[in-house]
Amino acid sequence: MTTDEATKSEGEVQAAAALAERGEDITPARDRGVLKIIKRPGSEDESPMIGDKVYVHYKGKLANGKKFDSSRDRNEPFVFSLGKGQVIKAWDIGVATMKKGEICYLLCKPEYAYGSAGSAPKIPSNATLFFEVELLDFKGEDLFEDGGIIRRIKRKGEGYSNPNEGATVEIHLEGFCGGTRFDCKDVKFVVGEGEDHDIPIGIDKALEKMQRGEHCILYLGPRYGFGEAGKPKYGIQANAELVYEVTLKSFEKAKESWEMDTKEKLEQAAIVKEKGTMYFKEGKYLQAVIQYGKIVSWLEMEYGLSEKESKASDSFLLAAFLNLAMCYLKLREYAKAVECCDKALGLDQDNEKGLYRRGEARLLMNEFELAKCDFQKVLEVNPQNKAAKSQISVCQKKTKEHNERDRRIYANMFTKFAERDAKGQGYFET
Amino acid sequence: MPEEQNQTIMAVDELQAIIQRCQILEEADFKGEDFNLFQVAGQKCLEDGYAAQLLEVIQNEKNKLIIKNMGWNLICPLVRCILMYKQEDDKREHCLKILHQLAQLCNPKELFLGLLEQIEQTSAEQVCQTVMLLLQPLQTVLLKLQNKKAYSVGLSLAMIMNQLTPLPVPYTKQQIQEDKLGLCQCCNAVVDFAKPFVNEVVKNMEKSSEYNDMELKEELLKFCMKSLKYPLLTAQLEQFEGIEEHPFRHFAIEIINILWDIRELIPLVFLHRKGKSPHWENQEFADIERKNSTDSLACLSYLMFVQHFGIDCFPMVFSPSYLLQCNMTHIEVLLKRTEESLLSKGLDLFESCLLRMEDNSLLHQYLEFRDFINVPQDLVKVMTLCPIEHLRKKSLNILQLFIDKFDAEGKYTLFRCLLKTSNHAGVEGYIIKNIKDQIHLSLTKACDNVWFTGHHLISLLDLVLLLPEGAETDLLQNSDRIMASLNLLRYLVIKDSESDNQTGVWTTLAKIEQNFLKPLHVGLNMSKAHYEAEIKNKKENRREAHSSNTICSVTVSGEKMPAMTTEMQLQVLHSALFTFDLIESVLARVEELIEVKIKAVMDENS
Repeated sequence: MTTDEATKSEGEVQAAAALAERGEDITPARDRGVLKIIKRPGSEDESPMIGDKVYVHYKGKLANGKKFDSSRDRNEPFVFSLGKGQVIKAWDIGVATMKKGEICYLLCKPEYAYGSAGSAPKIPSNATLFFEVELLDFKGEDLFEDGGIIRRIKRKGEGYSNPNEGATVEIHLEGFCGGTRFDCKDVKFVVGEGEDHDIPIGIDKALEKMQRGEHCILYLGPRYGFGEAGKPKYGIQANAELVYEVTLKSFEKAKESWEMDTKEKLEQAAIVKEKGTMYFKEGKYLQAVIQYGKIVSWLEMEYGLSEKESKASDSFLLAAFLNLAMCYLKLREYAKAVECCDKALGLDQDNEKGLYRRGEARLLMNEFELAKCDFQKVLEVNPQNKAAKSQISVCQKKTKEHNERDRRIYANMFTKFAERDAKGQGYFET
Repeated sequence: MPEEQNQTIMAVDELQAIIQRCQILEEADFKGEDFNLFQVAGQKCLEDGYAAQLLEVIQNEKNKLIIKNMGWNLICPLVRCILMYKQEDDKREHCLKILHQLAQLCNPKELFLGLLEQIEQTSAEQVCQTVMLLLQPLQTVLLKLQNKKAYSVGLSLAMIMNQLTPLPVPYTKQQIQEDKLGLCQCCNAVVDFAKPFVNEVVKNMEKSSEYNDMELKEELLKFCMKSLKYPLLTAQLEQFEGIEEHPFRHFAIEIINILWDIRELIPLVFLHRKGKSPHWENQEFADIERKNSTDSLACLSYLMFVQHFGIDCFPMVFSPSYLLQCNMTHIEVLLKRTEESLLSKGLDLFESCLLRMEDNSLLHQYLEFRDFINVPQDLVKVMTLCPIEHLRKKSLNILQLFIDKFDAEGKYTLFRCLLKTSNHAGVEGYIIKNIKDQIHLSLTKACDNVWFTGHHLISLLDLVLLLPEGAETDLLQNSDRIMASLNLLRYLVIKDSESDNQTGVWTTLAKIEQNFLKPLHVGLNMSKAHYEAEIKNKKENRREAHSSNTICSVTVSGEKMPAMTTEMQLQVLHSALFTFDLIESVLARVEELIEVKIKAVMDENS
C-alpha cells in the first residue's frame, strides 16, 4: 500500500467514525438507520427526483474496513432508477438527498441494507455498510425507452400499485404547450379512454406507471400527444410537444384476466367492442387498439369453454383481430396488421375482410405477389367483390412498375460494365 | 513385400519428381495439374508410412514456395493418419511435426479453409480429438490472417461449437472423470484457443473507449453465449468431492472471464431487460436472437448467483427484491423445461434469490409482473408432474419460501391465484393449510392484518369452503383439499367466537353450509353407498373373477404394473371407505362445534 492509499484508507476509517458520531440522520423515520456526511458539496443546487435515472460512482466497505464493491474498479459509473426499490433502501434515501457533483459518505444499518439475510457471498448477515458516493448526473425517466414520454416525479405516490388499462382514475391535470396553459381540470375516466375528455394517449400510458397520490410532470412527444391532428379545441397545432402536470388522486383497478371468469369476460368483451368501434369511427385508432386488445388478452388463451361460450368467444376474437388489423392499417403499422389478419384467418380461413385487409397491408409493404394472392382468394370467396378486383390490377401495375425499375437499374449497370470492358477494365476475368 | 516396397518407393519418387519440377517454377506458374500430383503423391507417402520423408521434403528450404501454395492439400490425409497412429508411434510424431510446419509455411487463407473443412467433416466420435489436434494450427493461421480476421475467428468458433453440440454432456462424476468423447478437455482447449483474440479486443478497448471495430468482440460474445447454452446449461456444475478441477466449472469461469474482459458481463446480466440496442434491421431476426439468448442468459444468471462465478464484478447495491425480479424471467425459462439439469438450475436460482430476502419483505405489487404469477404456477407443475422426486420436494420447499417472502396482501393474492390455477387437490390442500397459518398469525399477533380477517378473508373463504362440483365432486380425488378445508373451518369456529367474529366466519356460515357442508353430507352418503355396493359386488364375484380379464393396464415410469388382484382391489375400496369415514368424523366434529357455539349465544341472549 502506498502512503497515499494508506492516508486515504485511514481517512475513510475516520470518516466512518465521524459518521457514527455526527452524521446527519436522513431517514424519514429518524431511526439513525442511514447517516450522512457531505465530503464535497455539489456544484449545482438541483437534486434528482424520484424515478430519475441517476449516474454515480461509489465504493462500499464493511465495518471491518474490507472493500466489497467499487464502481471505479469496473471503470464505469453505476446507473439506476432512484426511489424505485432497485437498490438497497439506504441508497434510495441517501442519493435522493444529494446534489449534482456532490460526494458524500453514508453509514447504513442492516435494516436499510441487506438485513439478517445478508447477500451471499459478499455481505454477511446483519452487516452495517459504509459507502462513499459521488453523484455524477441524473435525468428524467424515459417511460417507454423511446423518448416519447419523460417523467419527473414531484411527489411520490403511496404504495407501489399502478392503475392498469381499464382502471378508473381520478386525476387533476394541467396541460401546457409552449409555456401556455391550455387545460386545467379535475377529471375521472377510464385508463385507455382519456380521449373522451380531450386527454392525449400519453397520459393514459403514463398513468399505468403512476401510483396513488403521485404528482409528476410529463413531457410528451407528438406521438403521445395530439399527434398530426393537433387539437383545434385548445388551439394546438399538429405535432406539438406538450407538458402536463398530473396528480393521480385515486384509482380503482380493472380486474386482471385471471381474476375474471369466462362469463364475465364475454360480457365485458361486448362492452369494449362497442367502445372500440366508437373510437374507430372517430379516427382515434390508438384508443381503439386498446379496446380491441382487451378482448384478445381476455379470450385468446381461455380454455375449457362450453360449446356455446366457445362460439361466442371465437366471434369476439374474430371481430377483434379484424378490427385491430384495420386500426394498424390506419396507423401504418403494416406488419402488425398482417399478424392480426393471420390470427383472424386462423379462426376463419375464408374470412373475406381478413383476406382483403391482409392484401392491403401486404400491398403497402410492397409484397405485391403475396398481396395479389390474398385479393384473389377474396374473389374466390366472394366473386362480387369489386374492390378486390381493382386491387389485383393495382398489384399487377405495381409489380410491372417495380420490374421496370429493376430493369432500368440493371440496364444501366450492364451499360456501365460494357463501357468498362471496352476500356479494358473488365470486372470478370476470363 | 518387395512389390509393396516398390510401390512406396514409387510414392516418394513421385513426390520428388513433382517437387523437382516445381522447384524451378515461379509461384504464378504453378498449374492445377501440379497441385493434383502433389496432393496424390503426398497422400500416398503418408498412407504408406513415409511421414519422415515427407517431413524432410517440407522442411527443405528450397521447397518453401511449393509448400506455401500446395501444402494445405495435405491436411486431410495428415489428420486421418494422426488419428490412426498410436500415441507413442514415431510416425505420429512426424505427422505432428508436419502439421506444425504447414501451419507456419502455408498460405493462411487456404490453410484456414483446409482446417475448417477437416473439423466440419469429422465424425461425432472423433470430433473432440480432431478439434484438439487442429486448434493450435488454426490459432497460428488466424493470427497470421490479414483480412476478415474477426469473421474467420467467429466462423471457426461457431463451426467448432456446432460440431460439439450434438455430443452428450457428461453429467455424473464418473462420466466427467472418464470423459469418454473428450468433451470436457476439448471445451477447455477451445477457451485457450480464444484467449489471444480476447486479449486483442481488450488491448483495442484500452486504446480508445470509442473503439469502433466491434466485430471481433461480437464474435467472441456469440461464442460465449453459445457456450453458456451448450454445454454449460446442461452440465452438472456442482462441486464434486474428489475432483479438484471440475472441468465444466473451470470452463464456466473462463467464459465469464471472457465476458468480463470484453465488458459484456454486466450489461448481459443486468441491462438486457432494457432492450439492448437492436443490431438487426429486421425485427424478426432480433426476435430470433432474443429467443436464442434466453437460455444462455438464464445459465449466466445461474452461474453468477448460485455458483458465484464472477460475482465479484457485480454491483453489490441492488435490493434483493429487484434481483429476484431480474431473475424471474430466467427462472421461468428454466422451470418450463423438463430436463433434470435445467430444472434443478432453475430451482437453485430461485432459491438463491429468495434466500437473500427477509420474510414478508416482498411487496405484493411484484405480482403485477407476469413472471411472478407464472413462476409459482410452473413450480406447481414441477411439484405435481415431475418424475424426479428430489426436484418435486425441492419445488414444494421453494413454493413455501416464495409465499413466506410476500407481504400479507401478496400472500393473499398468491393464494387466490394458486387456488384457481393449480387443479390439484394436494396443492390446494397445501395452500389452504397456509391460509390457516396466516389467519392464526393475524388472530394471535397484535398487529392488525386486514387481509386475513374480515371481508377480505370472507372472499378468500368463498374459494376454499366449497365443493368444486357440489355433491358430485369426487371426494376421494379431492380428499386432501376437503380435509384441509374442514380443518380450517374447525380452527375458525374454535378460535373465533361469534361475539368477536374477527374472521367474519359467523356471518357467512349460512353460505358455508349451503356450498360446503350440505353437499359434503350428500356426497359422503352417495360415495359410501357406492363403494359399499362395489365391495359387496367384488366379494360375491370373487370366485368367478379368477378369470381376471383386465380392462386396462397401468404404466408407471415406463414399467407396466401388474394387474390388480381382487384382494388388492378390495383393499383399495376399503381404504377409500376409511377416507370417507375420516372426512365424516371431522365434519361431524365441526358441525357439533358450530351447534354448541350458536346455542351458547342463544342461551346468553334469552
